[in-house]
Amino acid sequence: MVNGSTKLLTPGWPVTDPTPEAVAAVLTRAVACDVSVARVAALSGGAASATYAVDAQRDGLPWPLVLQCAAAGDVADGALPKADQAALQSLAGRHGIPVAEIVAVLRPEDGLGEGFVMARIAGEALAPKWLKSDDYAAARTVLTSQCARVLARLHAVPLVSVAGLALPGGRTGAARARMFALYRSFSVNSPVFDLAFAWLAERCGDAEAAAIVHGDFRSGNFIIDATGLAAVLDWELAHLGEGAEDLGWLCANAWRFGVWQKPVGGFGEREALYDAYAAAGGAQVDRARAHMWEVWGTLRWGLACLQLGHDHVSGRVRSVERAAIGRRVSEVELDLLHLIRFGDI
Amino acid sequence: MSEQIEVTALVEAVAAFLKSIEGELSGRSAFHAKVAANALSIVARELAQAPRAAEQAALAGYLGHAAGLDALRAELCGRLRAGQLTPETPGLLEALSAAVIAKVAVDNPRYATLARMQGL
Repeated sequence: MVNGSTKLLTPGWPVTDPTPEAVAAVLTRAVACDVSVARVAALSGGAASATYAVDAQRDGLPWPLVLQCAAAGDVADGALPKADQAALQSLAGRHGIPVAEIVAVLRPEDGLGEGFVMARIAGEALAPKWLKSDDYAAARTVLTSQCARVLARLHAVPLVSVAGLALPGGRTGAARARMFALYRSFSVNSPVFDLAFAWLAERCGDAEAAAIVHGDFRSGNFIIDATGLAAVLDWELAHLGEGAEDLGWLCANAWRFGVWQKPVGGFGEREALYDAYAAAGGAQVDRARAHMWEVWGTLRWGLACLQLGHDHVSGRVRSVERAAIGRRVSEVELDLLHLIRFGDI
Repeated sequence: MSEQIEVTALVEAVAAFLKSIEGELSGRSAFHAKVAANALSIVARELAQAPRAAEQAALAGYLGHAAGLDALRAELCGRLRAGQLTPETPGLLEALSAAVIAKVAVDNPRYATLARMQGL
């Protein structure tokens, strides 16, 4: 398993797969070496982007890569342009965060849409596997502190260093309002979601964005090897906000893949995460604030379920998978009620 | 029986068909066939358990008047949006829990939070 292989399977994408010749041309431009590409194989595709394994050779040596691209103009509203995503991923790498090295950024003349080519990191990307297999028992024991260190480093990156990137985000209150508008756009009445929005409104405040937030830091977006966290993937939902949002999202029940007794991603304990985060230079974690972000993250996953169900109902992407995920809204409602009634899940 | 083939029999027949072609499928089709079979299980449980009636009873009981489920949901949402109901309003969390427990018992009866909430 490699970077980005756990996305939703979606019919309708790709319209045409990139050819080895087209990818070779991109690579030749990027490095002054003898480059060849033997194979470009689709790994998975989201609604608007797709990921390919690229088996290349560089000066005769194997060069395993991943191509991530979106049809031109198809990057979702509020998502980071692919070139900026690549730039942020590289910046994170320079700050000591394990990421796949960016090899090349696509240009319009490449004819492949928006996207980039990155190193293919060896390891396991399927969270249900690395969360449960004995092969990764040692990796799991160090993962909580590794995640805490990554987030502490990311949240300490000065905002001036991303001034040139189109990172969305802003005040907490505005972010809550955007999330509520998204909910209302589906014309669905969920009393539990409305209850959660009301609960958040009493607590989220309206703090100014103070940090770079990864935005999708969860078990499904890691590459894990025997030593733990080998790479943090999928920077496309990065935004400016409050660092604790990443801590809450990491603890959402959906990313525990059934290992619900371990609140941190199915592998760790909250207190260990918070302590390691502070020890690595992150802020002291306010427990009530972290809880607020867990409710926020859980609700956000609920809206993603609604969105996927809506894709099917509206005909945007007809898919039995999306229709079925729409029925996961009730799980999220139950988690929200547990969180709000009992203070955790 | 008034109907030779009840809807439950149709659901079972389609589920059995999906199972019979499992071995012939691979990749995306095999995955979607699994999802489809799972979706049919939801349909079968919904037919057997009538969760909408349970949700309707819970919401009507809380609001103190009868109405269709969609109207009850809309009323609760409207009152929450207007601030007339809040998370602190007595009995609201309990009523919503009863409603959602009935739904999850149909959508995913093995969901861990369900057993935790039912055990309270």
